Amino acid sequence: MTDWNAMTDEDFRREVHQFFESEYPEELRHLPHRPTFAEVEHWHRKLHAKGWVAPAWPAEYGGMGLSAAKLLIFYEEQQRWGVNRGRDMGVQMVGPLIIKFGTQTQKDYWLPRILSCEDIWCQGYSEPGAGSDLANLRTRAEIDGDDFVINGQKIWTTMAHDATHIFMLVRTDPDAPKKQQGISFILAPMDQPGVEVRTIRTLAGETEFCEVFFDDARTPRANLVGELNKGWTMAKALLSFERIFIGSPSLAQNALGQLEVFARGRGAFDDPVFRDRFAQAALDVEDHAALYSRFADQLKRGETLGADVSMLKIWVTECFQRITELMIEAAGPDGGTIGPLQVGNVSVDVLASFYKARPTTIYGGSNEIQRNILSKAVLGLPG
Amino acid sequence: MKQTEDNTQDQQDLRLLRESAQTLFARAGGSDRARKLRDAGGRWGDGMITELAGAGVFGVAVPEENGGLGMGLAAAGVLAEEAGRVIAPEPVVATIGLTIGLLYRLCPDHGMLEKAIGGETVLATAWQERGAAGVAPGRDCRFAGGRLTGAKAWIAGAVGADGYLVVAEGDGGAVLAYAEAGAAGLNVEGRRQADGSALGELSFSATPAELLAEGAAVEAALAEAVSDTTALAAAELVGLSGRAFEIVLDYVKTREQFDKPIGAFQVIQHRATDLYVMQEVAHAAVREVLSSMDRAAAGPQARARLASRAKARAGVAAKKITRDAVQLHGAVGYTDEFDIGLFLNRALVLSAWLGDDTYHRRLWLDARDKEGAER
Ligand SMILES: Cc1cc2nc3c(=O)[nH]c(=O)nc-3n(C[C@H](O)[C@H](O)[C@H](O)COP(=O)(O)OP(=O)(O)OC[C@H]3O[C@@H](n4cnc5c(N)ncnc54)[C@H](O)[C@@H]3O)c2cc1C
Repeated sequence: MTDWNAMTDEDFRREVHQFFESEYPEELRHLPHRPTFAEVEHWHRKLHAKGWVAPAWPAEYGGMGLSAAKLLIFYEEQQRWGVNRGRDMGVQMVGPLIIKFGTQTQKDYWLPRILSCEDIWCQGYSEPGAGSDLANLRTRAEIDGDDFVINGQKIWTTMAHDATHIFMLVRTDPDAPKKQQGISFILAPMDQPGVEVRTIRTLAGETEFCEVFFDDARTPRANLVGELNKGWTMAKALLSFERIFIGSPSLAQNALGQLEVFARGRGAFDDPVFRDRFAQAALDVEDHAALYSRFADQLKRGETLGADVSMLKIWVTECFQRITELMIEAAGPDGGTIGPLQVGNVSVDVLASFYKARPTTIYGGSNEIQRNILSKAVLGLPG
Repeated sequence: MKQTEDNTQDQQDLRLLRESAQTLFARAGGSDRARKLRDAGGRWGDGMITELAGAGVFGVAVPEENGGLGMGLAAAGVLAEEAGRVIAPEPVVATIGLTIGLLYRLCPDHGMLEKAIGGETVLATAWQERGAAGVAPGRDCRFAGGRLTGAKAWIAGAVGADGYLVVAEGDGGAVLAYAEAGAAGLNVEGRRQADGSALGELSFSATPAELLAEGAAVEAALAEAVSDTTALAAAELVGLSGRAFEIVLDYVKTREQFDKPIGAFQVIQHRATDLYVMQEVAHAAVREVLSSMDRAAAGPQARARLASRAKARAGVAAKKITRDAVQLHGAVGYTDEFDIGLFLNRALVLSAWLGDDTYHRRLWLDARDKEGAER
């Protein structure tokens, strides 16, 4: 097995880039929408064969075990080439949680299936009454023999219509004195009579998230991860993985690249005002990466991230939005036009980028909530 | 005092006009109608055009002697606001400002004007052309021997229009010509916009067309009509952002998280307040611009400057308000089921049409410099 971390940064970057350039399917580059697994399956097979599905996982579980610096390079090259993340909720979210809190049996069973995409995961946290106030969740799981019986509803579940499994937070003790207590983290199969999925159309006209209804759905008790009624603490740990992931420079870097190509084609760089705003955006991205690697290093040293990780998400998502707004500006009278806009011999889907950027300040803990966290937990402000 | 009486009469007429437009749009189904028409393919409602015409909407700014109501741009702005509030898919502003604006200035006696005011025909006006990097600075589309050759772009209401007013280059300078929909050698392509409408790209190859006007008068009328339309688009944006603000204000008062309405959090209160102030500034600015443009003293350059001021302000406000409104809705704001997304999408389109805020700030400053130098 290759020790990627032993390579020089330059060699590693070249290696990653060469792989993407020669293997990544051209028609999937800079995909404007979230693909179903079927659309990206041929690419996923290559990635899997190469052992590159989970760059951040330790090598012992089939990951690349990359150091923070190498991980950044990996993501940078991925974004630069417009490589789609694929169906990575398993790799990015549930995998790390199982690695951290799962039993050996759970690791042996689930992790290889995540890597091979035999199981495709979606995240069932939010409910109609439990968004920012996630602890308000009501979906119940009751023990019945060897099973949990699940009743309730999840919403905004990204790509649930194309998932085989859902990892979810459920209420297992409705009588607990505090909302945060009595919540458990369980894994459940989607393909069963008690689970019904309804897709929800986004304002971009895409089918990206869903409602999921549970009516006496079942999952084995063995699919409880961690202790019963201790799901909240674990989920919070997962949220910090999520935050560093959403807080990573990748989306903004990719958008910046698209903006540059597009604006050059449109002659926007002749305009001094545009130049200044582009430079601002570019430096916002670069300087964010410096901050990001500080946190990524912390993670690699095995330390848990503090509440201060929230600043990554605030910075980069808002920067991402500004970049896509600049794209629209550079598009001038085509700024409201759906679909790819041709510039020279390339085309850039300006609106798709704009739409992609909008909800990044909502999901993964809204930016208002992140600011609340920073002001209370980091700055120690009263209230 | 005679003056005040007149004003009061004017105000009353204006109020009546606003109310009838409001009733019309509300009866037809408000913003739900916009969603339905969008899903049905993006064209406007023919019945609505007739009803709007019946209420006097299209002739509102046309002088009385030319068959209009003679109420000026301020009145047209009020109607544009109402269209904005329900994100009406009808090309209200393009028709009042461009099509009818050109017709009454250049060929008031042509039967086409009456038909356009009466809603019998819906015409789209083709004046811009596509260049390598956006709008072409010059005009390549030619009119000679009764035929048009060339291409035009970004035409509001082009798909489904009964015919086209085309600004082209003739032997003696600019020409306004009329080409019927379906004329030989005419190709219409609709580019789908974020709100489901289409902006048309027209191409002509020896397309038969009727000459309506030519010479310097065409350039002058075009400049005036574009200024009017720009200011009216600003009014439409202000109507849109005003309604979007009401929607989000209502939402933060009712959505509960952490056992209270999210509007109880001071962060949300301040955000809502900022949007409110922004909306009020935009509203005041656009209304002032429209009445200043109505004043006889305002020359073409000043009118263009005023229009740019309005579009710049309204564009900034509508973008900010609709985007923040989505944010304050959380995930439901990102769905198509909630109305707020329709407003965000419409704001994208209206803000890009005829130039966004950056573009208009530049025009505004250029015009101001020029006027300063002439003074
Ligand atoms: C595209 C997209 C994909 C998603 N995918 C998933 C998924 O796969 N799985 C999943 O479980 N969830 C998913 N979500 C849901 C997401 O986690 C929630 O939208 C988020 O937690 C916010 O909850 P909410 O939408 O109910 O908004 P609300 O909590 O109702 O918030 C509405 C507004 O109020 C603000 N607000 C709320 N509380 C406070 C406060 N105390 N102080 C200040 N402001 C406050 C919020 O910031 C927001 O602006 C997704 C959301 C989106 C948009």
